[in-house]
Amino acid sequence: MSPPAARRSSAQQPVAPSGKAVHLRADAEAAAGALPPLLVQAQQLAGSMLSGDHGRRRAGLGDDFWQYRPLQQGDSRRMIDHRRSARGDQQFVRERELQIAQTVHLWVDQGASMRFASTAELPRKIDRARLIGLALSILMLRGGERVGLTGGSLPPRRGNLQILHLADALRADNTLDYAPPEDRAMAPHARALFISDFLGPFAPLERALSKAADRGVHGVLLQVLDPAEERFPFAGRTRFESVGGGLSHETLKAAALRDQYLERLAERRDALDRLCRAAGWRIGQHHSDETALSALMWLYHAMDRGQI
Amino acid sequence: MTIIGGLGFTAPWLLLGLLVLPLLWILLRAVPPAPRKQVFPAVTLLLGLSDKDSQSDRTPWWLLLLRLLAVAAAILGFAGPVLNPNQKEGGSGPLVLVLDGSWAGANGWQETVQQIGSRLDEAGRANRPVALLQLTAPQALQFQAASTWQQQLPGLQPHPWQPAAKQLDTALTHIAASSDSFETLWFSDGLAYDGQHDLTQALQTRGDVTVISPGLPVLGLLPPVNKDGALELTLLRSHPEGAALGPRSVQVLARGRDPGGTHRTLAQVTAQFGTNATETSLQLSLPAELRARIERFELPDQRSAGAVALGDDSLRQREVALISSGAPDEGLALLSPLHYLRQALKPTAALIEGSLGDILPANPDVIVLADVARLAPDLQTALAAWVEEGGLLLRFAGPRLAASDTARDSEEVLMPVRLRIGGRSIGGAMSWGEPKTLAPFAAGSPFFGLPIPEEVSVSSQVVAQPDPSLASRVIAALEDGTPLVTRKALGQGQVVLFHVTANAEWSSLPLSGLFVRMLERLAVSTTTKPPQAKSLEGTTWRPITVLDGFGRSTEASALPGVSGPDLVDQPAGPMLRPGLYQSDNRSLSRNTLKSGDQLTAATWGADITLIGYNKSSEQALAGLLLGVALVLLSLDVLATLLISGLLRRGPGLALLALGLGSALGLATLPGALQAQSSAPAEASAEHVLRAGELTLAHVLTGDAKTDRIALAGLQGLSDTLYFRTSVEPSTPASIDLERDDLALYPLLYWPVTAGQQLPSPQAYERLNAYLGSGGMILFDTRDAGHAASGSASPAARRLQQLALPLDIPPLEPLPSDHVLTRSFYLLQDFPGRHPRGALWVEAAPADAEQVEGIPFRDLNDGVTPVVIGGNDWASAWAVDANGRPMLPVGRGYAGERQRELSYRFGVNLVMHVLTGNYKSDQVHVPALLERLGQ
Repeated sequence: MSPPAARRSSAQQPVAPSGKAVHLRADAEAAAGALPPLLVQAQQLAGSMLSGDHGRRRAGLGDDFWQYRPLQQGDSRRMIDHRRSARGDQQFVRERELQIAQTVHLWVDQGASMRFASTAELPRKIDRARLIGLALSILMLRGGERVGLTGGSLPPRRGNLQILHLADALRADNTLDYAPPEDRAMAPHARALFISDFLGPFAPLERALSKAADRGVHGVLLQVLDPAEERFPFAGRTRFESVGGGLSHETLKAAALRDQYLERLAERRDALDRLCRAAGWRIGQHHSDETALSALMWLYHAMDRGQI
Repeated sequence: MTIIGGLGFTAPWLLLGLLVLPLLWILLRAVPPAPRKQVFPAVTLLLGLSDKDSQSDRTPWWLLLLRLLAVAAAILGFAGPVLNPNQKEGGSGPLVLVLDGSWAGANGWQETVQQIGSRLDEAGRANRPVALLQLTAPQALQFQAASTWQQQLPGLQPHPWQPAAKQLDTALTHIAASSDSFETLWFSDGLAYDGQHDLTQALQTRGDVTVISPGLPVLGLLPPVNKDGALELTLLRSHPEGAALGPRSVQVLARGRDPGGTHRTLAQVTAQFGTNATETSLQLSLPAELRARIERFELPDQRSAGAVALGDDSLRQREVALISSGAPDEGLALLSPLHYLRQALKPTAALIEGSLGDILPANPDVIVLADVARLAPDLQTALAAWVEEGGLLLRFAGPRLAASDTARDSEEVLMPVRLRIGGRSIGGAMSWGEPKTLAPFAAGSPFFGLPIPEEVSVSSQVVAQPDPSLASRVIAALEDGTPLVTRKALGQGQVVLFHVTANAEWSSLPLSGLFVRMLERLAVSTTTKPPQAKSLEGTTWRPITVLDGFGRSTEASALPGVSGPDLVDQPAGPMLRPGLYQSDNRSLSRNTLKSGDQLTAATWGADITLIGYNKSSEQALAGLLLGVALVLLSLDVLATLLISGLLRRGPGLALLALGLGSALGLATLPGALQAQSSAPAEASAEHVLRAGELTLAHVLTGDAKTDRIALAGLQGLSDTLYFRTSVEPSTPASIDLERDDLALYPLLYWPVTAGQQLPSPQAYERLNAYLGSGGMILFDTRDAGHAASGSASPAARRLQQLALPLDIPPLEPLPSDHVLTRSFYLLQDFPGRHPRGALWVEAAPADAEQVEGIPFRDLNDGVTPVVIGGNDWASAWAVDANGRPMLPVGRGYAGERQRELSYRFGVNLVMHVLTGNYKSDQVHVPALLERLGQ
């Protein structure tokens, strides 16, 4: 774990390639700066045996002292800790605590439906989703976790460089109206974070979550919605179109549709809830008129508490 | 034209369109508003939903009403409604509009043009060809469509003269040239002039003549006359037929330039006409200084050239200084060299007598030196300087000059020619020959044209030495060619020498009337009477300013010159416009009316129809109604956008209200203006309060949170100052740059936000004045000093835009020996809520050097006008109502230390503002103490 102050000062002077990724990273750094580094609790990560910064409460590979034990048959002589052994006649071996890192997979919906903001003052949903996703990635990378994207385009890695790779990868827009969740190349027993509006077809999501559950991957869904999608403030004769223009629906009295729409939205939420419960995931809500920090706090708790 | 209910309609069948309105109502109700496109990602949830009610949203009734009103207004507008329709049918055949177009009609010109316009309208509707004949500037009759004349109507101007014989002849020729018969409408100005009757007869042979006359008396102002030292102004008015003239008081203004050069009213008098009186006069006595400044007299409520009298030289009384050599001898008054001059000049000029040294500072127009041979060298220099600035030095010869050696060998500055020793005498007992008479004046002489009386003879004179320049300097000579009067230009002025005495000793010239006229021509004196043609013989006058028909002065440099007699005798016309004329140094005004003129009302024969102006002229309402229709339609656009949701509700309603408000004429505005009038009194009370105490102030940014923190921050700093130093500030203030007075605050804290409005140019002017008078602005970009490393942050970019018009000296990062580092606390960094950002202050002078033994340089004398940084000091200083810090700074103890340092920076800053470089001067204290010890 590195001292937080040094981290922050480095975050204030971003030295990075040009383009939007820089701003994205700068914003995310600013959002992440207010939280202590996240230590995702280690949990049954037998399969992903890679060193990290988390004490596993048993001897193994790591930096921190764990115990001295007498030299046993089969130990190499190089393993003898001579400082301890010189106090007496017995020879001791210095053991360190086993440290392993968590692997976190991130999927941020880059579909056209996310590129929407009801008013000019609000950020687009996709901007908010990217910000939150990258902020959490930074927190976890600082905690020594390995963070990557689902789908194999950016495998989980450690280190600060990964933040830049993530920021770069998150710039790519998807032309599909409603992008299906990317569920390939998830490491077994890893953690996952899906950020989307989950307004698209339900079946791909169902399939992705069941596949994840099969592999023992647990995670969190964060649904990012625009306030207009929550309140449906429309009236009069209106022709609703999806962002890509693929879908449309025309009504003569938009105001009369509100109750039905809200009902359907609640149904969709219930379905997501049920799906998550079945797969052992958690789901959270975020609206783009709230602060990103509130969503990050929630995610921090959701990823840290280790109830999954 | 069809008349329905008092309104005339030019296209009444269009009104049938109103029948369509009910149909339109039904149609508009049936068609729903067009759908609005809305991008909405959650459309997936909407798919498959159906409307419960198949009926669409109806167009609201008020919108329907709006549209119907718009259409109705358009239909009515296109139907060509006319208010006050002229129900009398006009005649047929060609129509000639005869127009006096003289100055007498200028006062009611707009009305006349309106009348002509309505007559043209009528003629246009009856398809009559029309010709226009302006008698003051007649042109051949051109029969054209009325609409063509309508377009030329705005170009029609009255001329500053009455139709004269020449113009009437031309007009008669034009009428004779046209072969048709026509009807005549004569717009008369109401004044009679010669030849009016002949023209009437000529027109009557062609057809009916109708005279349209306003029937109001015409007022005129005669040129001012000098009478017993006062100006006499005579006002005239005409007496129209059949009208009773009541008593009337008329204002007369004398206008001219004040010493500052601006035109203003110099005097104001009121003339009173008695009942049925057509003439009145008044006396105006003014100080000579003021009188000389008058450029014109005018009647302010009469806009015509006849109501203007221009001032000229006759208004100016010239100041003439008379100086002679020798002591005045009371017993020999008739022999005094100045006696004849005094007599000649007394009626027309202000005479000054005394010594030259006393007179020169009074700067007279003319100085006369009668037989003065020598002047003290310094007086001579002063006199030459006075001449070069435009003075006229008039010298007379005499026994002293003849006997002295003045201008013998070389030409003197104040003498036009060199003189021979002794002069000459002719016709005396000891000499041959007869006394000489004068030769006729040459063409280039200012005296050219003056008649020479036979009895004038010269018996003695001083004689000029022949020189190459002599011939050009002679302006009068004796019959044998000897120069009598010589002149030379000196700078802007001139020196004139009469080769004879100013008394009758040497010649009989001073005894004759010629002497007075010569003085007039030399602009030594001015005439009291209007100039006669004879006295102006041989002069040419060029116009300086001329009057137009309305009495306005215009530049006249492009107009040709006029000969003197013509200027006085000839009637005004295109070649002789009323105005101010100049010749040499004299100016003469030619007014529209001359002394002795009368204003006679025109009389018309019994066979001529005489009518007055129509009071209620026709007014076409089409434009008004179409305008209403347009306004309603644009309201409809707004309303449609509003109900279809394409316009946001807030701004939409505001726009709609704006439209309605402008339509209603903003009836509530005066009330709002009244409410503001009590504001200054409160403001001045607050100023007194603020000026009595030291007050810290911040600039309002428009961002509520920033402003709140800035105010709280200044409160925290004020508290700190109060506790720790002898500075005891009052409650801090928030400043609106557009309204508030900055001079009351020594320090302005200006938090820069990205969305801040740029102040207005007036505000910048005051900010620059504030900076120039020793105020200081602390700019805070609140971005932890990123501003220093470039324009990375939006606040820094905004700062650049904000500070661009400010008068800010070159800046540099705060040097470690700046007085800010030690004006109260010893500081080396200046944290706010951000720990370390650069601080920029006015750059040290390039030659600032460190003196040995003193730890810092002697930097700027004075206070840096701006301090720029980004450490967000206000947030660190900010306290709530209970004095507790509002915002966290840093972590734990280090954070509290940082806050403490930020307060110390604030204290140092205020100390620097209030004491300037006092602490820099403290470096000399050891030296002073050492000296005291000794």
